[in-house]
Formats: sequence, structure tokens, C-alpha cells
Amino acid sequence: MKYGFIIDNRKCIGCHACTTACKSEHDVPVGVNRTWVKQVEKGEFPHTRRLFSVMRCNHCTDAPCVDICPVEALYIREDGIVDFDKERCIACKSCMQACPYDALYIDPETHTAAKCNYCAHRVDIGLEPACVNVCPEHAIISGDMDNPESEIAILLGTQQVKVRKPEKGTVPNLFYIDADDASLNPSLTTRPQDTLWGRQEGGVGHFAKAAEKMAFSNPDVVSALMEVNGQSTTADEVTANGKARSVDLLIGKTPRRVYDTPNKGILWGWEVSGYVWTKAIATGAILVPFVAWLMGAMGPNLEGQYWSLGLGIFFLAATGALLVKDLDQPTRFVYVLLRPQWKSWLPRGGYAITVFGGLMALSLVLLYLGQTMALVQWLTAAFAVLVAVYTAFLFAQAKGRDFWQSPTLALHMLVHSLMAGGSAFALVNLITGAEAGWTQFLNTFLMVSLGANLAILVSELATPHPTHDTHRVVDMIVRGVYRNRFWLGTVLIGNLIPLALLFVSGGSPVMMAAAALMILAGIYITEHIWVEAPQRISLS
Amino acid sequence: MTKKPGFIERIAESIGIIPNLHKDRDLDLPHLTQTTDLTNFPPPEQWDDWVEYEAKAHPRREKKHYQIVPTTCFNCESACGLTAFIDKETGQVRKFEGNPYHPASRGRNCAKGPATINQITDPDRILYPLKRKGKRGSGEWERVSWDSVLDDIAGRIRKALQEGRNNEIAYHVGRPGHEGYMDRILQAWNVDGHNSHTNICSSGARFGYAIWYGYDRPSPDHTNAKVILLISAHLESGHYFNPHAQRIIEAKMKGAKLMVMDPRLSNTASMSDYWMPSYPGSEAAVLLAMAKIILDEGLYNRAYMENWVNWQEYLEHMHPGVPVTFENYIEKLKETYAEYTPEYAYEESGVRPEMIRETARLIGEAGEQFATHNWRSAGSGNLGGWAVARTLHFLNVLTGSVGTKGGTMPSEWNKFKPSFFAKPPAQKFWNELHFPNEYPLAFFEMSFLLPHFLKEGRGKMDVYFSRVFNPVWTYPDGFSWIEAFSDESKFGLHAALTPTWSETAFFADYVLPMGLASERHDINSYETHSGKWIAFRQPVLREAARRNGKPVTFTYEANPGEVWEEDEFWIELSWRIDPDGSLGIKQHFISPYRPGEKVTIDEYYQYIFERVPGLPEAAQKQGMNPLDYMKKYGAFEIEPHCYHQNLNEVKPEVLEGSVVDPKTQVITKGGKPVGIMVKGKAVEGFPTPSRKNEFFSKTMIDWGWPEYALPTYVKSHIHPETLDKSKGEYVLVPTFRLPTLIHSRSGNAKWLYEISNRNPVWMHPQDAQKFGLKTGDLVKMNTDIGYFVDKVWVTEGMKPGVVACSHHLGRWRRPEDKIGNRWATNTVAIKNDGQGGWKMSTISGIKPFASADKDSSRIFWSDGGVHQNITFPVHPDPISGMHCWHQRVRIEKAGPEDAYGDIFVDTNKSMEVYREWLKMTRPAPGPGGLRRPLWFKRALRPVDELYYLDNVNENGSLKEGVGQ
Ligand code: SF4
Ligand code: SF4
Ligand code: SF4
Repeated sequence: MKYGFIIDNRKCIGCHACTTACKSEHDVPVGVNRTWVKQVEKGEFPHTRRLFSVMRCNHCTDAPCVDICPVEALYIREDGIVDFDKERCIACKSCMQACPYDALYIDPETHTAAKCNYCAHRVDIGLEPACVNVCPEHAIISGDMDNPESEIAILLGTQQVKVRKPEKGTVPNLFYIDADDASLNPSLTTRPQDTLWGRQEGGVGHFAKAAEKMAFSNPDVVSALMEVNGQSTTADEVTANGKARSVDLLIGKTPRRVYDTPNKGILWGWEVSGYVWTKAIATGAILVPFVAWLMGAMGPNLEGQYWSLGLGIFFLAATGALLVKDLDQPTRFVYVLLRPQWKSWLPRGGYAITVFGGLMALSLVLLYLGQTMALVQWLTAAFAVLVAVYTAFLFAQAKGRDFWQSPTLALHMLVHSLMAGGSAFALVNLITGAEAGWTQFLNTFLMVSLGANLAILVSELATPHPTHDTHRVVDMIVRGVYRNRFWLGTVLIGNLIPLALLFVSGGSPVMMAAAALMILAGIYITEHIWVEAPQRISLS
Repeated sequence: MTKKPGFIERIAESIGIIPNLHKDRDLDLPHLTQTTDLTNFPPPEQWDDWVEYEAKAHPRREKKHYQIVPTTCFNCESACGLTAFIDKETGQVRKFEGNPYHPASRGRNCAKGPATINQITDPDRILYPLKRKGKRGSGEWERVSWDSVLDDIAGRIRKALQEGRNNEIAYHVGRPGHEGYMDRILQAWNVDGHNSHTNICSSGARFGYAIWYGYDRPSPDHTNAKVILLISAHLESGHYFNPHAQRIIEAKMKGAKLMVMDPRLSNTASMSDYWMPSYPGSEAAVLLAMAKIILDEGLYNRAYMENWVNWQEYLEHMHPGVPVTFENYIEKLKETYAEYTPEYAYEESGVRPEMIRETARLIGEAGEQFATHNWRSAGSGNLGGWAVARTLHFLNVLTGSVGTKGGTMPSEWNKFKPSFFAKPPAQKFWNELHFPNEYPLAFFEMSFLLPHFLKEGRGKMDVYFSRVFNPVWTYPDGFSWIEAFSDESKFGLHAALTPTWSETAFFADYVLPMGLASERHDINSYETHSGKWIAFRQPVLREAARRNGKPVTFTYEANPGEVWEEDEFWIELSWRIDPDGSLGIKQHFISPYRPGEKVTIDEYYQYIFERVPGLPEAAQKQGMNPLDYMKKYGAFEIEPHCYHQNLNEVKPEVLEGSVVDPKTQVITKGGKPVGIMVKGKAVEGFPTPSRKNEFFSKTMIDWGWPEYALPTYVKSHIHPETLDKSKGEYVLVPTFRLPTLIHSRSGNAKWLYEISNRNPVWMHPQDAQKFGLKTGDLVKMNTDIGYFVDKVWVTEGMKPGVVACSHHLGRWRRPEDKIGNRWATNTVAIKNDGQGGWKMSTISGIKPFASADKDSSRIFWSDGGVHQNITFPVHPDPISGMHCWHQRVRIEKAGPEDAYGDIFVDTNKSMEVYREWLKMTRPAPGPGGLRRPLWFKRALRPVDELYYLDNVNENGSLKEGVGQ
């Protein structure tokens, strides 16, 4: 038994009935859609065509949204439907990064994720989904693909079909008959702020509260928010197409989207780049002394060791706080630990953080008692590494974001952790003073890790990009909207200037501290760019 | 389907640190089918207690008990079936789905069907009758009782009737439906007061059809067609969008070819096999070129034409001396249309000659399976727009596809005509405000000239009802309407009957809330396909109450607030106009079942349904009476197909005492044609003087238009010859509709507005470049009476040299109109200089607002579009009376002083343009002192004697003694 959909584009007239019927069945709030009819105009007069494509969840066989969901709020039923349970959902928005088709949204009413669930509540009693019923053209065909007698099975057997982004390996169960790539492939068109019949001016879904604000306070809030959240995409268009082409686009030479579901904005914002940053400090504070110890170099003195654990515990707590803050259902954060879905790197990370926190607490007790236990030291360090890098694996599970699929991302995070830890000690040393050996070690250590960091940067940005979307993100970073932040923030402030300072510092605590501040700022800016930029790519 | 909890979760749930989410997840309702197959609707046996799971609770199993009650949609004209799912616990409608028993919509709907629930729950809807405080239009209202409303209006009408001022009463309807109901009311009052929107909508096309065969609308049998030619956009709008769209695509899937003539890429054009982007107004030239090819290549249907075209009459009149043979007729036809070469048509239209040839051949080959339609668009846009329908029908005649399987029927064959109890006689008044002498052939009331007529002092309106009618916004020249409405000497009392606020209701004395689709009664029957059906619109909560053993007497008792329904309003009002029966009105409102008592709504429909052919028997089979059957199923199919009705034999009782004209073979009785002899059989034929398709129209000659005796091409008022391109003059096509909206009635539907909320001007890149415009730039569109400033949408989907802007959007309210369609309305400032100059500017766009519906705070759009129609002068076609919508516009890039949404109009200029167009008319009387051909249909037809100008008194009544 396996339910699937066919969208028959020979028949679909773009009437949007499926959209409103679905809204009616599920009481879907204004601004977000479980299903929508994307429209693309293509061709030069008089060979112009408007292409209609119904977009929704593909009920993938290998659903990345299910894999990434930390609490099993998304799951595949025995009949193939990818269903969800909003009561489990903590609204971490991971699924929205994982789904390569932008099928999910945050419901502003329930503050949980939502998407097409094949009207499972109807299917369970034998009724067709609401959108199938309403369609004047019977252009949406549902049914059990495993039953050879079913309409859907017969059509699949006799017609050529396409799916969206087969290269993602998700194995979609929604098939299109007679679909045009200009509709199915989102990178062939850009997401407009103006559609033919409308214009988005406010946030939707997770950002619907911004629209609310507009009613009662200042409309600028929304435009500012849209700007910040990358919802006004003129810049995106320019980055994607270059100036000249985006003018062409405005006069309609290339295929263009003339209707699309409203832009949901950038869902992982400063909280996420923030926690990657605090996490780097927390883990670095443990790892740097450990490396010194390993290499037999001089480590921090007793006071410095207290600082190490203190910083570790404090910034780990901050990490936890930011993680919780990022949830639209913050009170459900314990579900990550208590309803874990083990394939997801979120509970894995959650447990790693918990164990790491426990180990640091234990180390603090041991330190207080004047004891050392190598096992604890090794374990704490191992967990520090895990905590530092697990986010890279989580990001890699976010199948929707090509840029995060980079194999060096884990290394990038580890090096950031080392840089952050080193910098933190450079600042501590300014306050507490430190032995020359330790300072010297830190100076060299930071220079080496900056060098490694630069090498990783070059490899992440300059090696040939595996996909078009990655290429577009890199473009945005080095030439587009992020270019100032990247060249000034990441490259100069975050790497080159501190490298130069450390080179000439001769162990001067002030110069080292200055370099440390810049490194920490640079890490934040880099993570902000790395987290945000890929989310600007429209997925559907 | 519940997932088993993992180890940690099970412990955590069991010790209660987290809630148990494994409860209430088990499936405990039966499956409707034996297999994994899905079915589309709950079985009717379960409609009184249908149990399903609430989607919003899923995967928790929350059972909802519903009562399923059918009704019909009130958004577009189609009246598709809806079923209301009434939550038994709350007693409210939870959602609307389709009605699988509706023969036209077959359980399916367009976007507007499900969105009906938005209209029901719209926080801005009007729930109580309101009376204006202060000046008309001041925006101040107070709640009043229905009793006081009814008494006030009834008293006023009674006085007018007693004083012979019957012509000062009018009912002006936007969305009709209400089949026959209003005619009955008005005729009971002896008032010639029906006024409709038809002359801004479809009367151009109607005239083109009627002049051919007496019927005024086409009814294509798309399902069975081989070629479908649309000069319309039936895959997204129009009579009857959803039912037609279903069948057009069905035919396409069976291999039919779809051809669409439209200067812009409609969704329909986009789905077509042949998109013919014709210059507006040139359509008839293309159609005649196709006709020429069909004639020249011998692809015409000789058998049909020989019998069913009045070619003999044509030859005799136009070519006396030429032997009356069919061969000669064809020869003359070829001569007549010789100039319409594809190359000529190309020059006029821009449609490539090869495409014209190819499509014409396909049409010729399709023969009887050739379905066509022409609605709004060309027929309603152009001077002489009626010629489009006329030349289109010419193709149907040539191919013999009139009334055939897969061809195009006249609408009336598919429409059911109800019979009424105590039917009042035809009224003895003729109101020249609706049917003035300048427009003897006008196919419907000259409704859009009302303010101009009133300004000229042709009469006044003492009691004026507007129903679901918004001329201030929808009509051309809305500021002239505002001027007339604001003048109490022109409109004594204006009562707006409407479910929702409108720009016109702002200028009423009473705003009377009337039910939406599921809150009132009506019957529907439309020409959606080859069959004939009837559907029942009913107030679903009232019906649920009845089923639950708590019947109510009046619909308003079941409706929200004090929302009435028109049916009961008119009965109550009529009763109060004539409380003692002395005016002869009351007798028409006495129950046919309970002597002497006031009729109830149930009785009214019971009487009709008992007389629907086949319905009593079908009901009986289910052990029901016809009324209960309709209440349960909401629709009934009377006949599956209605082909070839012209071949119906004349009934023996009609034949009795009739005579056959030996030359024409027309059968007449009492001087009126009733049939025709064809191949020795007395058949009904068509309702024309010749009982045939009138290729040659004697009527046109008789009424002073000999140049239009035959189907021909009429150059439009926006023909390129009339435009000065060097001055930036273009034609603006302002008529097209969106699949998601419906005129000004859908501003209360949030799910529709979030998809579409603005209406930029479409422009081809070449044209845009010429003006230095790109998408999003402001453009100033100067019409003959003012201008509007809109944004540009540059697109390859627009014919170069033509611009277009959709109707529906640009809704507004003033700061004084505190609420009203806030999902859809811009807030505007309107300034009048007192000299006819009107300026409108946008204060703010659409904004989120706080209300009981949280979605109102999530409005993410603010651009509400621009109100273009108000900047158009009236353009009455001198023949059909249709307002010719297309506009000559002078396009310029907006200047620094122009803001988005700015509008200016000088109503003095409006009057000038009105007078210019009035000069083009050729007024009555026609032959025999007639003011209108007797054989022409007329809405709310008065007694025949009134067709003779000599028989009419000053006040519009019939002279004493005439015709008695
Ligand atoms: S309801 Fe059907 S025809 Fe309409 S947009 Fe959806 S899939 Fe297309
Ligand atoms: S990955 Fe996206 S499309 Fe696939 S099942 Fe998940 S939500 Fe649906
Ligand atoms: S299957 Fe149900 S949830 Fe999915 S798009 Fe259709 S109506 Fe919406």
C-alpha cells in the first residue's frame, strides 16, 4: 500500500481551487499554504505560455524531513503518507531546512510546523483528499500506487512522468505529467516580491507576527524585518542574475514566476548563528588547554583551569538558552531528550551537550578536590569535539540547503571552536595575566588555526561547486549581498588582521586580546553568513 | 497508525514529565470502501449524521458529527453545487464541499466555492439593518428594526402606486439568479421596474445571437466537440466557468482542439492549441475570413443550411431577379465575403493568415461537432461588438453545428422554466428610463445610463432597490452615479440589499443585510452543458433546524444576526404595500395550499418542484415529496441532453387553427409564427419571424440599419484608425476577470484575496520600452474623461499595441466608512470641486486589522489595486445598447506629482461623451409605430400593447381602453 499523487498538467487550468479547498479542510492560516499553484510565464509573444504547477509535499519515500525531525513529529505511515503530529513538534524548523521542496511552514496559530499530510484523516475513513475532490479538471490524481487497478497506477504505467529534484535522492511520490522544467526547477526562475496579482508586504508563518505588528504600530517594522530576513529579494535577483539580466527579467524575456506562495523568510536567524558561536567558545575553552596538554606544551595555571571550565559551562548554558529560544515551542524543548528520534543530529547533539555539560561539572568538582582523572579529561575533550562539530552533521541533514552539504563543514566548525577557545583565553589572560609559555602557546596556536581556517575558507568557496544552488550561495557571499560582511567581516577582521597582529604581537597581551576580539567577531559574522545565505535560495 | 513510543519516551510519559501523546490516536471509524480505493463523498444515507475526524486535531482522533445540507454557490453565475458541513455541536457551518448530485458541477468547484465560508464568517459583514444618519453618503449609520424598514418602504411604494408613479419604483440587480421570482413580484405590483447589469455585461453578445435565432445565449456541448472556439476565457471565468472548464478539458483529453481568440494570454489561451491574439474589435473580421475559407473550400453543411437558413428571403430581398436556388445563395455568399481574405483579417487583427486557414479547415472538418462561445470580452468591449457573436454563430450555421451533439445549442433549450402559482399578469407600464426610445433594439435595460437620464430630467426614482449591485464601483462613470445618488430629488429612497458592504451601499438610505449562498432560497437552472437541470439554493441552517425538529418560520431566525433573505423580504413587503388587498397585489401572495393565508417560502418552492418534469417520480422512489427531495439532494437532472429542439413537432393543440404560408412555409397562428414546415413536417424551428436562422435580417432593415442586414464586420470605436499612436493613444482592454475573484462580491473572502489583490496594467515589452516603463513603474492612463495611475506589468503575454487591466480590483472605502471588506479595500480620499471634477487618492493600502478572525491580523498584502472603471465614460452601442468597455487611453509615464492609485474624472466630460454616443442612435418608432420589435425578447415583458408608442400615457401606463 503506497499512496501517491499525480498532477496532470495537461488538465490543470491554474484555478487555485485546490488551494482554497485545502485551506478550508485544514483551516490553514492566511499567508501559508499546504498546496499552491505556482505559475510561470515562458516564451516570447505570441508563443507565450503560462505554466501552472501544483506544489506541495511529495510524500517522499526517503524523506529528509522525517530523518531530521528530532522528535518524530514527522513520520512515514505504513500507507506511504508522510504525516506529522503537531503535538510532538517543537518547531525547531529543521524540517524546513531539510525538505528540498519548501513544503513545510510554521503555522502561526499552532506555532508548529505543518504541511500537506495527504488529508490522512480523510484517507483513514476512505475519503479522497479535499484538493482532489474539488479540482474541476480532475488534474490531481490520488490513489494506491501498489494497486495495479488504480487510476494512478495505470497512469504511471502509461504516461511519462517527472518529479521535482530527483537528484536529491528523496524518491518523491508526487509525479507530474507534462510538466515543464521552468516550473519544476526553482533555479530557472527567481522568487518575485511582486506576483501578477499580488505583492507581499508582510511576513507570513513564523513571521506573521510582524504582519500583526503593522496593524498596531509602525509599518516600517515589517519592511525592516523583511529586509533583515531577506524577504525583499531584489538583491537576490541581482545577485542571481547580475544587473543586466534582472532588467531583462523585469521585462519578461526569461521565464518568470508570476505566482508563488509568499516568502516565508529566513527561518534560522541570529539565534542559530549565535548558538554556533557560543558553542564554539564553550568547546574551545575545553579543547585548547587539552591540546596544549596533549602536545606537552604549557597549559593554563589553576586559575586558568577554573576559567576553562567556567567559560565552558557558561557558554554551553548560553548555547542551550539560544537553542530553546529558537524554538517556536520553547516549552517543549525537553522533547528533544525525552522523545528522541535517533537519526536526527538534534537529539544526538542534545545528548552530547548534556553529557558534555555533566562532564564539565564533574571536572569542576575534581578540580576543586585537586584530583585529575585522565579518563574524564579524555572524555570531556571527546565530547567537546562532538559538540563542536555535530551542528555540521545536522546541517548536512538539511538536504534542502546545498551549501551546507560541504564535506569540510565539520572541520570548519572544529577550527572555529579552536579559534574561539584560543581567543577566549587571550582575553582571560588580559584580565588575569598568565605565564609566558601559555601565552606563547596561545599566540602560535591561534596563528596556526587562523591559517587552517583560511585554507578551509578557500576550499569551501573556491573549489568547483557541486550544484547550481551552492554556486549561487557562493556568489552571494563573495559578490552579492554578503560581500561586505564577508570581505570585511570574515576575511579582514576575522582572519587577516588578527593574523598580522599575532604575527607582530610578540606575546603582548593587549595585542593578543585585540586579535582575539576580532577573531570572535569574525567567527560570528562568518557563521551568520553561513547560516543565512543558503536560506535565501528558493526551493520550490 | 500510531508509532510505538521509544524506551525513554515511554518512561517519561508514564512518570508524567511529558504528556502522553499516544492516546486517542487509534482509528475507530469504519472505512467507506472495501479496498484502498478512496471515494469522494459520504453516502447520502449518512448525511444527517456524518462522522469524520477533525483535520485540525489530526492525528488525534477528534470525531465531528456533521449534518450535510446542499445549497448552491452564489459567487459566479454558475450556481455550482455546494454542501454545507454543519457541526452538530456548534450549529455552525464548518466548511463547504461540492455536491456530487449537482449535474453541472458534479461535486467539483473552483476556488470561490470553498471560500464561501470566508464570506459567512467575514468579521466585516453586515448583520443588522442600517439606516443612514446625516447626509446620504456621510458614512454614519444607525441600527433599525426590520419592521420599521418594511413599513417605511411599503408606505412609500403604496403611495407611488396609488398616484400612478409606478415608474418611480425600480429594482436594480447585479447578480441575478432568483429565476422568475422578481418578475413575479414586480408584475404583482404592476411595475416596469426591472433593471439589470446585463448591458454592461453580455447584451452585446446576446443581441448578436438573438438577431440570428431569437435566443440570446449560446450553450456549447463542449464534452462532445471536436473543435472548441472561444472568444472568451471559460477556463477561468464567465458563464459558466467551472462546469464549462470541466467539459472543455474533457474534450481536449479526447483530442478536441481548443482555439482561443484574446489579445492577452488568458489562462484559457495558455491552455489552447491555437492562441489567436487578435486586435480588440477585429474578431468579426477573423471569423468572416474563416467563414470565407469554409465557403470557398466547400466545407459547409449544405443539408443544414438549406433547411435552416432564411436564404430564400435573402435572395428575394437583396438579389431580386436571381433565381432562388441554394447554389445561387452560396455564390452570393462567396461574393459577399470575398473581401474577407485571411490577409485582410490579418491586417485588421494581427492573427497570422496561416493560422486562420488552418483553424478554419479544422472547424470545417469538425462539422456538427463545433462548440463555440463568446462572452464579455469582444462582445462587450466594442462598438458593434454584437457583430462578433453574429459572425461566430455564422460559423455554427455554416458547419450545421447548431443544436447538435458536440455543437452549440441555444441556452433556452437547457434552461428550466418554473411555473408559478397565482401568476400576476404582465405589467401595464413601460419605463423609458430602462427601455428608452433611442434604443429600440437594446437587448436589456439601459441601466448604465440611469444617472445620465436622471440628470437630463427624464424622470426620477422614488424607491430604488439595489441588490447585490455596485454601480458606483463596477459601472463606467461611477462618479456620475455618486452625483445622482447624492441628490435626493433624483433618488428619493435608496435601499441596498446586500450581504456585504459595497461602494454603492455607502450611498444608500438603508443597508439591508441579505443572506449569502447558504443563507437564502433560490432556484437555479443554467445552460452548462447538453442537459437540463434544476438546483436548489437553500438556507442550510434553516434546513438543519427543520431536520432536527426545530423548524423556524423565517430564514432570519436561523441566519446570523438579523440577516434576511430576499424571498421573504419581498413577500413581507408586498403584503405591507397592500394590507387590505385593494391594490390587487396581495392576491398573488396567498398560499396555493391554504386559502386566504400568506404564502410561505416552502409552499412557494413546493409548488414549483411539484411541476418539474420527472421530479415527483424520482422523489417518490425515495419515498419523499419533491420539496424534500430537493432539500436533501439540492439538485435534479431533468434531461441529460437537449439536442435538436428545433425539430420538435408543433403540438397538435397549437397546430389547430394555424395557417401555413405557402411561400415561406412558416406556420402562423393568430398572426404569430409558431412553427415551420420542414421536409413535410410541422416543427417548431426557431423563435424568429422566419422560424429559421436569420442570415438575412429584415428586422435590421426595418429598424433603420440596412447596412447590417447580414452578418458583417463592424469597425470598433477603438479601431486603430481612430487612435493617434503618435500621441501615445492605445486601446485598453479592461474587461477580463480572474478565476479567483468575482466582480465586487468577493472582497470578503480572505483566501481569494491573499492570492490576488491588485491589478497592474499589462503591457508588451516593446510598448513598455517605448514609454521607458518597466514592471512596477507608475503609468498614467488618460481616458476621455479623466485618468488613473496604476503600476505596469510588462509581459510577453500581451499583444503589442494593446494594454489590458483586470476588473475586480481596486476596491475602496473612505475614512468615514469605518469597516467594510477590509481584506480588500484601500482607504481613499475623495475630493469634489463642485463643478464635476472628482479626485480620488489613496490614503493607505490594505492593512492588517484586529478582529475575531485572527487571520485579519496576518494580512501580508497591502496593494489593493486601482479602480479603473470609474474613469471610463459610458459608451452605449446604438444597436445592442451594450456599454462598449474598451477604452481609448493616452498612455504616459506618471509624473512626480502622480501617486499610485490617483484618479481624476470630470463628469461634465462624461455627459459630453454620453451625448456623442446618443447621437449615433436611430430611435423608435419602427414599423407600425412600434418602439421595439414584437418578436424580440424583453426582460420583464409588459403587455404587447405597450410596444406601440401611441398606446402609452405620459406616466408610462397603457392608455385606457387599449387592447381591452
Ligand atoms: S484545482 Fe485542479 S485545475 Fe485548479 S489549480 Fe488545482 S490542480 Fe489545477
Ligand atoms: S522532504 Fe518535503 S516533500 Fe519530502 S516528505 Fe518531507 S516535507 Fe514532503
Ligand atoms: S492532500 Fe489534503 S493536505 Fe494535502 S494538499 Fe490536498 S487538501 Fe491539502
